[in-house]
Amino acid sequence: MSENKASEGWEPRIVAIVCNWCTYAGADLAGISRIQYPPNVRIIRVPCTGRINPFYVVKALQEGVDGVLVSGCHPGECHYITGNLHARRKFAMLKSFLTYIGMEADRTMFTWVSASEGERFAQVIKGVTEAVRALGPATKMVKKI
Amino acid sequence: MESIEKKLREEAKLLLAEKRVDVIVGFEKGTLPLVATPCFIENPDDAEKLVWNACCTQNLAKFVHDVLSQHRASQVRVKPEDRKKKVVGVVGRGCATRSIVLHLQEKQYDRDDVVIIGVPCTGYIDYKKLSGKLGGEEVLDGAAEGDQIKVKTASGEKAIALKDVLAASCLTCRFNNPVISDMMIGDPAPPMDPDHEYDDVNAVEAMSVEERWAFFEKEMDKCIRCYACRQTCPSCYCKTCFVEQSQPRWVGVGEDETDTQVFQIMRMYHMVGRCVDCGSCSSVCPMGVDLRKFLKKLDKDVFELFGNRPGSSLDDQPPLSAYTENDKENFIFNP
Ligand code: SF4
Ligand code: SF4
Ligand code: FES
Repeated sequence: MSENKASEGWEPRIVAIVCNWCTYAGADLAGISRIQYPPNVRIIRVPCTGRINPFYVVKALQEGVDGVLVSGCHPGECHYITGNLHARRKFAMLKSFLTYIGMEADRTMFTWVSASEGERFAQVIKGVTEAVRALGPATKMVKKI
Repeated sequence: MESIEKKLREEAKLLLAEKRVDVIVGFEKGTLPLVATPCFIENPDDAEKLVWNACCTQNLAKFVHDVLSQHRASQVRVKPEDRKKKVVGVVGRGCATRSIVLHLQEKQYDRDDVVIIGVPCTGYIDYKKLSGKLGGEEVLDGAAEGDQIKVKTASGEKAIALKDVLAASCLTCRFNNPVISDMMIGDPAPPMDPDHEYDDVNAVEAMSVEERWAFFEKEMDKCIRCYACRQTCPSCYCKTCFVEQSQPRWVGVGEDETDTQVFQIMRMYHMVGRCVDCGSCSSVCPMGVDLRKFLKKLDKDVFELFGNRPGSSLDDQPPLSAYTENDKENFIFNP
């Protein structure tokens, strides 16, 4: 099944849930600096990583995305001071648990990109896209509609 | 055991007679042989009904929360000066007292709303294991006496060693004596085998990612989504659970297998730092889903990452409402 999709010119679909103050601005900077990065990501902007319900990640996987990326301000730089420090604990647990039940570790990625790191944003998207491409299309826990 | 039961009844009777509690949550003899069922005792003379033995499976903290939250809801429309306080007494073993600690940390009620009659615990019966030992035969009569269980079935009488049918949670329990209590009945129970508590988890971790997924899929495939696990769990007390929420509808209500998987992942994820490994969910599951193998992983991670043992001390902070600046970051992706 994964081969079929791949041979049809399958492209990974990745959802990036990013915070407004850092990573979203970083993506903006990548854009205005005309840095190229793969067009495989769909960005969802949220106020802060602390606002991301881990359910979003699980739901996205169920809806059939091939990878989920969560990114926010570097620790210590959160606009709401500690949002990302709380998020870090939540996502450490989530990633470990999803891996434990047999989801591929690279389908859920977490990172930090600040507003001045347009270059890093492009690198992250490249890295995530390549990692997900290597895994092939998502098959686990995908709801068939 | 006998003497614990006797003292327990005396103590409960006294508490009720002196009106120090309004109700006592404990166990009474069930309607089926070799089964104990949670009960609510309000009349001192009924304290005689209380039992304490290896048939007492459920985590009673669930009912403490139920009674107190219902009482609070009933007082909402009463004038503040006419509001009544309700105090619940509970027969509390290790896991139940840990759940009470979690409730207190989560500000569900106040410490003086509950009186904990601490009891030592030597573990309870896993009825699926027992049924295996009996070759699936129906229990006609039985009694749990110390470390022996006497069972009568159609093919005769049998004595089974309690340790052969103990629940998995009990075998490796680290807290089989109450972590908080207002009075203690009997001597502290001897320790179980906590050094091996993560053996099951380590075995799953040693599998390949595909094997783990196959295992998860197989277990979740059994689940009929009766939600008994949620109903019995003392940490599942939300007024509207996400599974019933319709705005947004987090999980579909059909029989799609991915909805069941999502339900399970999210219910278990909600147990991060909140599961006391009481085993109530596994014990009530009618389909024998091995929930503990997954929940225990969360317990292991929470301890390894944040050094937290849920509910073990009133001074702890729930791990997900805390942070430190140097929490582990090795899962962060760096291209
Ligand atoms: S008790 Fe068992 S069958 Fe029922 S919802 Fe929970 S895991 Fe599923
Ligand atoms: S998830 Fe299960 S083992 Fe954990 S506290 Fe709830 S009922 Fe007990
Ligand atoms: S505002 Fe960016 S992580 Fe909190």
